[in-house]
Amino acid sequence: MHYVFHFDVVWDHFPELLNGALLTIRLSAIAMVLGLVLGVICAYQASAGPGPVRQAIKLYVEIIRNTPFLVQIFIFYFSLPSIGLRLDANTAAMLAMTINLGAYASEILRSGIEAVPRGQVEAGRALGLSRFQIFRLIILFPALKTVYPALASQFILLMLGSSVVSTISAVELTAITNSLQSTTFRSFEFYFVATGMYLVMALGFRASFIALYWLVFQRGRGA
Amino acid sequence: MKTYLKLLALVVLVAGSTLLMSHPAAAETTLDKVLKEKKLRVAIDVGNPPFGVLGKDGQPDGSDVAVARQMAKDMGVELEFIQVPSTGRIPALLAGRADVTIASISVTTDRAKTVMYCNPNGALSIVILAPKSTALQKPADMVGKRIGITRATLEEATVPKMAPQGTDIVWFDEIGATIQALLSGQVDAVAMTSFAGKTVADGNPDKQIEPKLTVTTAFYGPIVRPGDFELRQWINTWIFLNTQNGTLAAIYKQHTGLDLPTLPTF
Repeated sequence: MHYVFHFDVVWDHFPELLNGALLTIRLSAIAMVLGLVLGVICAYQASAGPGPVRQAIKLYVEIIRNTPFLVQIFIFYFSLPSIGLRLDANTAAMLAMTINLGAYASEILRSGIEAVPRGQVEAGRALGLSRFQIFRLIILFPALKTVYPALASQFILLMLGSSVVSTISAVELTAITNSLQSTTFRSFEFYFVATGMYLVMALGFRASFIALYWLVFQRGRGA
Repeated sequence: MKTYLKLLALVVLVAGSTLLMSHPAAAETTLDKVLKEKKLRVAIDVGNPPFGVLGKDGQPDGSDVAVARQMAKDMGVELEFIQVPSTGRIPALLAGRADVTIASISVTTDRAKTVMYCNPNGALSIVILAPKSTALQKPADMVGKRIGITRATLEEATVPKMAPQGTDIVWFDEIGATIQALLSGQVDAVAMTSFAGKTVADGNPDKQIEPKLTVTTAFYGPIVRPGDFELRQWINTWIFLNTQNGTLAAIYKQHTGLDLPTLPTF
């Protein structure tokens, strides 16, 4: 079985692939920021919030972590309109990604929060700081520093998982690759190049996370 | 004496192997392989009513599935289904995972660049469907509307060409997602085969889905890899015989409710 490679076809459509990659990066970056904020809020409420809120957060985290991302996306895009909330593809994708990341981030942060030495928390209480002040000033920063690698990995997983949003017609890299290969029939060439682009994006994100770590946690700080 | 015998043995060996090798062994054709292994691998799309569906018992059913079953029976080989989504019908064939794809592949010149068509075994038409309340009488009405289409289908090849500027075309990977988009209101209209449209309309009478515009009609046929001439010729012979004896017409009528039009050959 012989197969003649036609990578020139991919090169002709490279601007479209690049557009798709830009949307992937945009969706992922926004979802990372919003998801992290959501994760921090949920992690705080899960330890310091009132009873019903803690139960609600526990329920939310367990549901998100134990159901497939694809099903979550379908619910946001196909099922919400039946209760009157119609979201367009990009908004539904961003919302699903944020809520998905929020659950995982809150679990990751919880372990980081528990790793903060009890003595420091007690010292904060002794100084008369409120629960929120203790969280903001004593717990959050060291917790983030401890779980940074795990969080960065989860972010990369989110970006790679964004390829699933192609199923709800969000026009990101995988969607454009699928469309192009179905019209030109050069599936090997296109998927090969798309894989390479995801690899480059993942490495790019990883490099920026390393730079961010240095910027936030290591510049001028002894700890 | 011993040396002479050794030399003689060597000459015989060399001459014998040269004779054996000089007979050019023909490369095994796909048809040969299928007949030798007694197995025909057919790529089908079970998400594409009425050509390929999953029956109530979870087994594949549909007009193209029935054609594949009859074909394997007449060939005297076992049948293995390779289930693929709409976008995988041609890649599965080209990658060698299937020997033939029987999944309502409409005849287009673009596809003919990468696969070999056998003679058509059926016809379909692509229509644009929308709820009754949506106003869509002519192509110009498509401006400003979201039209959902499935990738790697005839509608993907034809609708963007006839849609005027200002139409918002939305792509889905599978026809199931396209149908869901219409039913949930995420798109204003969809394009698919009239048969699939009828299935959607009948299954959702409250939404009052009806065909609005016919985009194109086409014949579809089985496809094989470039170079598999022997298999293609066998399939063409089979299609010829089963057009004559009415089997293809019976299968088509049973699954689509329509009479099979006169099938062209090429």
